[in-house]
Amino acid sequence: MSLVSTASAKAEPSMLARLFARQELALLVCLVLVLMFFSATVENFLSVRNMTNVLGQASLALTAGIGCAIVFISGEVDISIGSLLATIALPLIIIMNDTNSLLLGVGGALLFGLIIGVVNGYLTAYAGINSLIVTLGTMFIMRGGVYLYTGQRAIPDDASLDSFIALSDGRLFNIIPYSAVIAIVLLAAFGYMMQHRPFGRQIYAVGGNQEVARLAGYDVRRVKFICFIISSLLATVAGIILAARVGSAQHTAGLNFEFQVVAATVLGGVSLAGGIGSLTGMALGVLILQFLSNGLRGLGLPTEWQLVITGMIIIAAVAFDEAKRRRANGG
Amino acid sequence: MSELTHAPAQKRFVGGRFLGGSQLVLGFILAVLCITISIAAPQFYSEANIIAILRQCALVLIVASGMTMLIITAEVDLSVGASLAFVGCIGMAVLNSTHSLPLGMLAALAFAGGVGLFNGLVVTRLRVNSLIATIGTMMMLQGGVYLFTREAVQNHNQLASFTDLGAGYVGAVPVPVILAALIFVVAYVTLRFTTLGRYLYAVGANERAVRLSGLRSERLKLFAFVVTGLCVGVAGMILSSLMNAGQPTAGRGFELTVIAAVILGGTSLLGGRGSLFGTLLGVLVLKVIDNGIIILGWNQDLQMVVPGIVIILATYLDIIRNKANVR
Repeated sequence: MSLVSTASAKAEPSMLARLFARQELALLVCLVLVLMFFSATVENFLSVRNMTNVLGQASLALTAGIGCAIVFISGEVDISIGSLLATIALPLIIIMNDTNSLLLGVGGALLFGLIIGVVNGYLTAYAGINSLIVTLGTMFIMRGGVYLYTGQRAIPDDASLDSFIALSDGRLFNIIPYSAVIAIVLLAAFGYMMQHRPFGRQIYAVGGNQEVARLAGYDVRRVKFICFIISSLLATVAGIILAARVGSAQHTAGLNFEFQVVAATVLGGVSLAGGIGSLTGMALGVLILQFLSNGLRGLGLPTEWQLVITGMIIIAAVAFDEAKRRRANGG
Repeated sequence: MSELTHAPAQKRFVGGRFLGGSQLVLGFILAVLCITISIAAPQFYSEANIIAILRQCALVLIVASGMTMLIITAEVDLSVGASLAFVGCIGMAVLNSTHSLPLGMLAALAFAGGVGLFNGLVVTRLRVNSLIATIGTMMMLQGGVYLFTREAVQNHNQLASFTDLGAGYVGAVPVPVILAALIFVVAYVTLRFTTLGRYLYAVGANERAVRLSGLRSERLKLFAFVVTGLCVGVAGMILSSLMNAGQPTAGRGFELTVIAAVILGGTSLLGGRGSLFGTLLGVLVLKVIDNGIIILGWNQDLQMVVPGIVIILATYLDIIRNKANVR
């Protein structure tokens, strides 16, 4: 549905009408409500320090969420990203410890991520195996592989490179965390690609109706293949940020991360059915959940309540969205 | 779909009735596994080890029986692992305060069935995708169990009947295996020989057609969710009996093992296709692998790697076999 509306929106009725017709507005209202509620109840919630802190914390899910949303839009799923976070930290930390070079470490991590993306993408797009099964499998394989290699012990970052540490606590102009800057830049770049580049529109077309996309001459398999590679590479970037934050390669890193990202992405209006949603929506979904958990912590609620409330909100939001969609379609 | 059309036609040879479709591949994998492991380690075929494997299978098979029904109706439940832990804690707490096994069982079943009902209502009434809805429930249960109890609920009742639930034997067969066999048979008969079972397949294959022919498809899906929940209730009580405590951390990743076994058994995530016999084989393959890794003295972390490879490989072989059949 929204594929049609976003595509035909290129005819540009008016900027304002286009904005209001979109789901992102509802999400923005939600975000503002969350911000208003907590700014009234939690001291210093709206302080620049807290806002930028939350942004830094959200950068992991934002970065990986881009890939998650793109794979969803292409009509597939990728739940291997949590294990990938733990996996790529190994080459990253080990290479950095050996060579004292951030560049080589990041290169090694990205290479690993690329290989995993190629495997996921090949098995899904070319071998034709259901992507939930493929990524469930690679999720097991990677997590088990990390446990095997590390013997369930963390590998500390002995190189302690300034540039690597800056990834976790460095701030641009002393305000915005570098990790958030990375996430925002990636978000802008991929957002532009999804809305305005032919390849982005191909992804929407493939997810919206695979058969039509094939008849229109798109290489459906290639599009999906590349989507998985994008997802793995972005999760790799998130993994690098996480490794910098904890200062080591943790075998338990990213446990349940895939569920958080999937939940935020769906909350942001990206449909599991494919072809529907936007990266802006995904980003708003991530921010809503992140500010919510930050605010609840500010209220002094134990982390367990955050889980409970987050779960409820995800269900409520998707139910609300579904009801709205049904009404719009006339029942 | 193909289950519906193939089932009556496949009576050519006795094995074919059971081993139709992907089960053939899986049966082959299972046989190769058993032979290879027993050559490398003869103690694999000892009575004690076989009973150990069966006991390991019981928990997964109980929940997988419900999950197979649910996946056949084209829905899925990711909250079973979190629910398993919660049920164990609640069951143990009720046992401690009432000293009555029936009341403890009832509480466990009521809670787990309630979770299933909640999932089912959210999916069928509010039309939330079941993957998302049950991720939401999973989070709520994971948080909720810690609000309920910070540490393990210890066994203060020492009821013999409760200990038997996990550790007891009838003859040479462990009680959990008997319970699993009972649940499996009931589920098998329901799916294969009753109208209700055929409707479950039909809902998964083509929900619209089912609705148009006058059946209430929501009710059928709700039924599958509640059954899955009740299965979790039984499994949760057995687990807490085995561990002699209700552990809030139990069941991490359990949902993935169960779903892996069901998928491995050839049940399609798209719904309408699959069988409980395949699920049984899937559970056996996964647990034989687990056991083999221990018996051969390999690193136990391989218990995560190998199933991952097996799931992908089995699905791929299934696809190749289907293509060959079409030609």
